[in-house]
Amino acid sequence: MSVSERDSAAPVRPAGRRGKPRPVRLTGAWWAPAVGLSGLGLISAIELERTNAGREVFFNVQQPWVVYILLAALTGLLVYGFARHATLWTVGKPTPGLLREVPMRARNALRLGLGQEKVRRDRYAGIMHLCIFSSIIVLTAVTAQVALEDDTPLSFLHGGYYLFFSFYGDLFGLIGLIGVGMALYRRYFDDFHRIRWDERLEDHIIIWGLGLILVTGFGVEAARISVTELNGFILEDGTVLDAHPDWARWSFVSYVIAEALGILDLTQDQVLAGHTWMWWSHVILAFAWLGLLVFTRLDHMIFAPVNAFLLRTDAPGRLTKIEDIEEQEVFGVGQIQDFTWKQLFELDACVRCGRCTEVCPADLSGQPLSPMHLIQDLKAHLASVGPEVQRRGHLGGDVREVAQLEMVGEVIKDETLWACRTCGACVQECPVMIEHVPTIVDMRRYLVMDEARVPATAQTALENMEMRGHPWRGTNLTRESWMEGMGDVPVFDGTQDYLYWVGCSGALVERNLPVTQSVFRLLRESGATFGVLGQEETCNGDPARRLGNEYLYQILAEQLVETFKAKNVQRVITNCPHCFNTFKNEYPQFDGHFEVLHHTEFLEGALADGSLQPKHSLDSSITYHDSCYLGRMNGVYDAPRQIIELLPGVDLTEMRRSRSKGLCCGAGGGNMWQEEVGERRVNHVRTEEAVGTGASEVVSNCPFCIQMFDDGVPAIQPEEEGRIRPFDIAELVERSVLGENGASDNGTPAATT
Amino acid sequence: MHFVVCAKQIPDPETPPSAFRIDEANNEVIPAPGISPVLSQFDGMAAEAALRIVEAAGEGKITVISLGQESAQAAIKQVLAMGADEGILLEDDALQGGDSYTTARTLAAAIEKLGDVDAVFCGRQAADWDMGQVGLGLAELLGWPSAIIAKDVQIEDGTMHVQRVLADGFETVALPLPAVVTISNEIGDPRYPKLQQIMRAARKTVNRWSAEELGLDPSTVGDAGARLKLERLFIPELGGDVEIMEGESAEEQAQNLATALREAKVL
Repeated sequence: MSVSERDSAAPVRPAGRRGKPRPVRLTGAWWAPAVGLSGLGLISAIELERTNAGREVFFNVQQPWVVYILLAALTGLLVYGFARHATLWTVGKPTPGLLREVPMRARNALRLGLGQEKVRRDRYAGIMHLCIFSSIIVLTAVTAQVALEDDTPLSFLHGGYYLFFSFYGDLFGLIGLIGVGMALYRRYFDDFHRIRWDERLEDHIIIWGLGLILVTGFGVEAARISVTELNGFILEDGTVLDAHPDWARWSFVSYVIAEALGILDLTQDQVLAGHTWMWWSHVILAFAWLGLLVFTRLDHMIFAPVNAFLLRTDAPGRLTKIEDIEEQEVFGVGQIQDFTWKQLFELDACVRCGRCTEVCPADLSGQPLSPMHLIQDLKAHLASVGPEVQRRGHLGGDVREVAQLEMVGEVIKDETLWACRTCGACVQECPVMIEHVPTIVDMRRYLVMDEARVPATAQTALENMEMRGHPWRGTNLTRESWMEGMGDVPVFDGTQDYLYWVGCSGALVERNLPVTQSVFRLLRESGATFGVLGQEETCNGDPARRLGNEYLYQILAEQLVETFKAKNVQRVITNCPHCFNTFKNEYPQFDGHFEVLHHTEFLEGALADGSLQPKHSLDSSITYHDSCYLGRMNGVYDAPRQIIELLPGVDLTEMRRSRSKGLCCGAGGGNMWQEEVGERRVNHVRTEEAVGTGASEVVSNCPFCIQMFDDGVPAIQPEEEGRIRPFDIAELVERSVLGENGASDNGTPAATT
Repeated sequence: MHFVVCAKQIPDPETPPSAFRIDEANNEVIPAPGISPVLSQFDGMAAEAALRIVEAAGEGKITVISLGQESAQAAIKQVLAMGADEGILLEDDALQGGDSYTTARTLAAAIEKLGDVDAVFCGRQAADWDMGQVGLGLAELLGWPSAIIAKDVQIEDGTMHVQRVLADGFETVALPLPAVVTISNEIGDPRYPKLQQIMRAARKTVNRWSAEELGLDPSTVGDAGARLKLERLFIPELGGDVEIMEGESAEEQAQNLATALREAKVL
């Protein structure tokens, strides 16, 4: 390929965006049988119905008006309950921007609330939950129709529609029972732990209650069918109800039960007495159960979809900016009222399902953080101090004196907050859309900026960023050490297409220098025009922000945005997913708008359009580790896998946890600079998983991940022979494009434009 | 109680070796480009020791004094952010340069000018030249008792109790106030300042005193007053010279090695 050809193909568009079409999954496939059956039922009911099918609404029930008293009581209870919740939320600070991007929020409410996209990430729970959820919705509609029929001039529960109504009522009653059965199995018989990590009495009451409501519902209907539609009945007012077994069959579950009742040989009076008894049980249970909305986690029925509406609409990798930081009295969140009301609202949405804790790298390694317990502890703290904070706030008293326990330090321990990797796995899994990471970082902000309580090693990193512009205290390298032997390294002058951002780790950590050099050689080989900043690079502030020092972050970010603007930077290629996320998602908060690519995306584009040619077969078995900030935070899962597919002789074995379920290497959230406390180290857990694939190389794209694997491998594989070797994807690409000795072949620039 | 902390700004000891340059003609270190000077870490520890005493007592005032150039304000601000109350920069052309003696003399003049000082806290040595003389010189010039290389300092009823680090443990000594103490790293890392304090420190004005204000004759301070002259500053050349011992067998090689070592008068 000639230089000119390469030039014309030089990719200046964002690479990696176009990707292969992803396989469309049959979302909500289990709806299909239910909807299909209902449709068939509707058609047959209209086709077959020739009679005036129908029933007495309050058949065999004295004083049915009691139901309306119960309804009024329930309404009152719900209003009281939500007013009580809302009072607690209002102790929080305002949440700006909640009414921006309403269409997207509405879509989120539909997709994540009604569509339960996250619930389905656990297949069993997804089916179980959808069964129960759909059953409750449909049966509530069934009951509402009965009320409309009885209390309004509307009259539609007769004829074909009545039979169809009977049919789908029974169908969804059955679906509900299947869901309850699955739930009971999981709660009592399955060797499945997370739902028992914080098990309470209400969990048993909710599920048994729902089961009983469904069972008594069928019982009522079966008894009524038994005495009326199967045998014929004369009402007190003399109305004659003829036997209509053909109608009864539409209520196919109750019909079977009614027929079975026949075996018992009960008298009509006995059946009628049973009917009355069951009817009242059903009604009272149903009202009581709905009353649990106020007192138990059943409230997620309302809070989950609302929280989906409230969910952030911007990038998940972005933390909030503290505006006018120098004017603040409290910088982070130290007390419950320092949270926004949305953060307090989230606490109420938690259903204690444990999905967050199940995927938390800290918890997996026996370290002192469980996101679920953190949320529950905050919720309990809100319940205990919220009312008094609210009262004193109204009276103009000192609300900071209310709490007996320090929220940050006692309710939530320092080491819990420091154990967070900000990897976002908890946020990704949460079925009710709680955002744990920003909440944790807000409390870290309090620890660092208000209290100056920082683990010694993290403090060193912060001081180093402040004094030396990088977090790597003790490095013997300079930002230009990697350039040795690289030939002419172009300095960015504003005319080139790309700024190649090396980053502190890429320049100052021994292991990452070869990665920087690989990316550099590949950029040169691709014919793209680019330059570097060399000594002028400074830390972009990401570790400071994640460690909670927003003030330092803002200083570093503002400086760098100024530098970028002064140098006319338009497009940036980064080595590090953390730099990538910061430039891409967080610098817009400082009016820094740049087109940002991670080298993975660039390389994928260059390989796809032919500006890089993979010539050498690698003959290598690898496993790929998704870094959190390229993967979960920015959704770049396909580009690295497409690269791997394009390289000849590479055999990829995925780890069990991959893509959006990938496990953090352990370094995120400033944990690169902290001593780990707990049973195990996260990188040992992850290395074990990588080793378990049998691959000979573990490939990633993040300088931290690679260091963590480098450190973890000797612990997991003490024998040097046959060890898995950690590489950056750029090193892999370089081996294929430039050969094993790419380094020595490439003393001179391949293409200059 | 009024304490003085002496703080020196030094070239960053973390400067990578490849960026460390020397002007051999003028016997000077050339500041590495893009690497800012920092507070000598022992001085941060001295501030920490003074702050702990003030915190425990619930009262007291800390003044931080630095002899240096304009840039040394940053070092003063850093100690102010940690919790010191006032900062004084001794800055004047006449005060620049000098040796440990002129430094001690200038600081002593400043402390006498302050008047009501109960104790002076210095780092055990500055982390650039590692002389370790200023604290003792200061005590001598003030006529105060002193203890050096402390790992813990307490003050009770006008007496300072100092735990001094020894090679095989520590000893505790008591000094009447006013006194001078130099602090060692065993005391622990300096605190991380709270943001409120950083911002308060940023708003504080640092006082500047000149030689004249200190009542010092310019010929007795700074370069003019220095009696210690640096003769030559250079980066030693590192090299190795390896000779592989010849010989048919390991025994013969060992014999040749022994002979060679004898000849070199090593054995």
